[in-house]
Amino acid sequence: MRIGSLRIGSLRIGSLRIQLLAWVVLPLAGLAAINLWTSHGNARATADLVTDRMLMASARAIAEQVAVKDGVLDATIPPAAIEMFDTGDRDSVYYHVETAGGRLLTGYPDLPKATQRGSIETGFRDHRLRLATLSHAVIGAGSDSPITVTVGVTLGGHDAMVRRLWLSAFGQQLALVAIAGVFVLLGLRRGLAPLIRLRDAVRSPGRSDLDPIEVAGAQSEIRPLIEALNAYMARVRAQMAAQRRFIANAAHQLRTPLALLSTQASYALRESVADRRREALVALQASSGKLARLAEQLLTLSRAEPGSRRPRADRIDLTEAARQVLEAHAPKAIERNIDLGLEETGPVPVTGDGTMLREMIVNLVDNALRYTPAGGSVTVKLAATGSEALLTVTDAGPGIPVEEREHVFERFYRIAGSAEEGSGLGLAIVHEVVENASGSVTLGDAAAGGLKVEVRLPLAGN
Amino acid sequence: MRLLLVEDNRELADWLSKTLRQASYVVDVVHDGEDVEHALAAGDHALIILDLALPRMSGMEVLKRLRARGNPVPVIVLTANASLDGRVKGLNEGADDYLAKPFQIEELEARIRVQLRRANDRTAPVISCGDLVFDTNTRLFSLAGTTLSLTPREHAVLEQLVVKAGRTVSKAALSAAIYDFDTDADPSAIEIYVHRLRKKLEGSRVQIATLRGLGYLLRQDDPAP
Repeated sequence: MRIGSLRIGSLRIGSLRIQLLAWVVLPLAGLAAINLWTSHGNARATADLVTDRMLMASARAIAEQVAVKDGVLDATIPPAAIEMFDTGDRDSVYYHVETAGGRLLTGYPDLPKATQRGSIETGFRDHRLRLATLSHAVIGAGSDSPITVTVGVTLGGHDAMVRRLWLSAFGQQLALVAIAGVFVLLGLRRGLAPLIRLRDAVRSPGRSDLDPIEVAGAQSEIRPLIEALNAYMARVRAQMAAQRRFIANAAHQLRTPLALLSTQASYALRESVADRRREALVALQASSGKLARLAEQLLTLSRAEPGSRRPRADRIDLTEAARQVLEAHAPKAIERNIDLGLEETGPVPVTGDGTMLREMIVNLVDNALRYTPAGGSVTVKLAATGSEALLTVTDAGPGIPVEEREHVFERFYRIAGSAEEGSGLGLAIVHEVVENASGSVTLGDAAAGGLKVEVRLPLAGN
Repeated sequence: MRLLLVEDNRELADWLSKTLRQASYVVDVVHDGEDVEHALAAGDHALIILDLALPRMSGMEVLKRLRARGNPVPVIVLTANASLDGRVKGLNEGADDYLAKPFQIEELEARIRVQLRRANDRTAPVISCGDLVFDTNTRLFSLAGTTLSLTPREHAVLEQLVVKAGRTVSKAALSAAIYDFDTDADPSAIEIYVHRLRKKLEGSRVQIATLRGLGYLLRQDDPAP
């Protein structure tokens, strides 16, 4: 049983559990990855914003300390403006204060400048820095006003903040995927439980009787599977029962002829009169011949059973087959002075299992000869009409009463009170073979009394 | 001893009856269940061999009716169905013994002897009267150790008399026990058989006594004083 399969690269995964898990967890993980990428951007933006505000605050603090002292612009850096960056990430802070004319008041002369009201990231002395620049008017500074204050800070604190923000998002996403996976597994475990029970029920060593399987709590998706399985087992069970019945019947049918053989042998052994002993031995020989024929019929019937032989589509000429069968039966007919005849107008090709079709004719002719009294006649007629082949066998026997006609195709059915010792298998074989070849067989009355058997088979195309 | 064989397979019935006749049984054959009652009414059968698979009326039904009428005749059931269920059911319906086909005729004969012995309250397989001995196993009569040569009819008469030794057997009873349906029963012929038997028993210590109007009786001569 294959539920389906998922191909990952060249690996074929047959487990429903892994498949469903993959279908749920992989897309979820993909979504989480996209989400993480976005949240990394967000974390960065947040860190940028925070850093920029601190830079501006620091620059403002520095700018506000710039004043004209004794007519000279004096820039003293307040420690708070530097200390606000001390977040434990050992960041270095760089600053630069200059006049409108570009004269350096304090700080690093080569520190780059950011654009007004914005911040930039740039390299400075082997470090990456984030810089903000503020322009500030100083009262009384004359042409030196406004001054420009630039503050830069290395990215340690900034990056740590990005990392922290991002890691917490990462953890949440990971937890989400993991929880989803666990729920998928739990759900599958619950969902697959009826399937597992079904498997165990089928596998159970106590299950040899093909009883219907009951799986409690099976979902509507699984129930059709169980029903199909049960229906299949019911079919197999019916077939097995038919087979068992047939074998029991067959064994039953063999018992009486065997008792007869044994009785005839005992009689011959005890009989001292040569003629009577001979008579018993001749009868014994005939009985063993009949027994052999019965065994042959049983074999034919089991071969005719659907499924016991590979279906064959031989193209055979019914006329030729009938001719061969009649030739083989001619001695028996002559011995009993029966007029055995073939009426044909040419080849009648049909498609089917050649051996079985021949065996079907053998049984029809055999039956006809068996029930026709000495001096009577048996005729086999072949015709092709339209798309149908018609094989008719008429005899001069007692016929079959209308009420018995539907039963005589059953195996081992024998008409009550009939004196002739048939096996009750001949017509069953005919029926089975004709059915297998998509034909039909009907019983009727022959014009001169006796039985008329009509077998219709589809004509073989060209 | 007259037996009734009920078997629908004509060939088997034919050869079974022939073989039983070889052993000096008188055998009637019927092929279907409905004929059994007529057959039993028309003859005095010591035992029935009954096949179960019969047309018109099954062997089981025949057996049921037989016992319902209180007929105690021993019945050995023959069947092609050897299942335990079938055997038990047959025995429960009043069969005395059960034999599954295919069987050996020797076994059937042994079972027939057992049933006949029981029906006559005997335990030994040998019946003797004076120096006349009937071995039910070999089905041979011997007189003072020498096997008696008898025709089938004489055998049947003497067997009937020896089984009932010491009791009177009417002519009608003899007739019902020795003729099968295929023979025209001729009570007067019985006198001829008895006459011939007396000749063959001459000089022995048994004799067939005639009781006028009653029948015959096999008895042992009183030992000479």
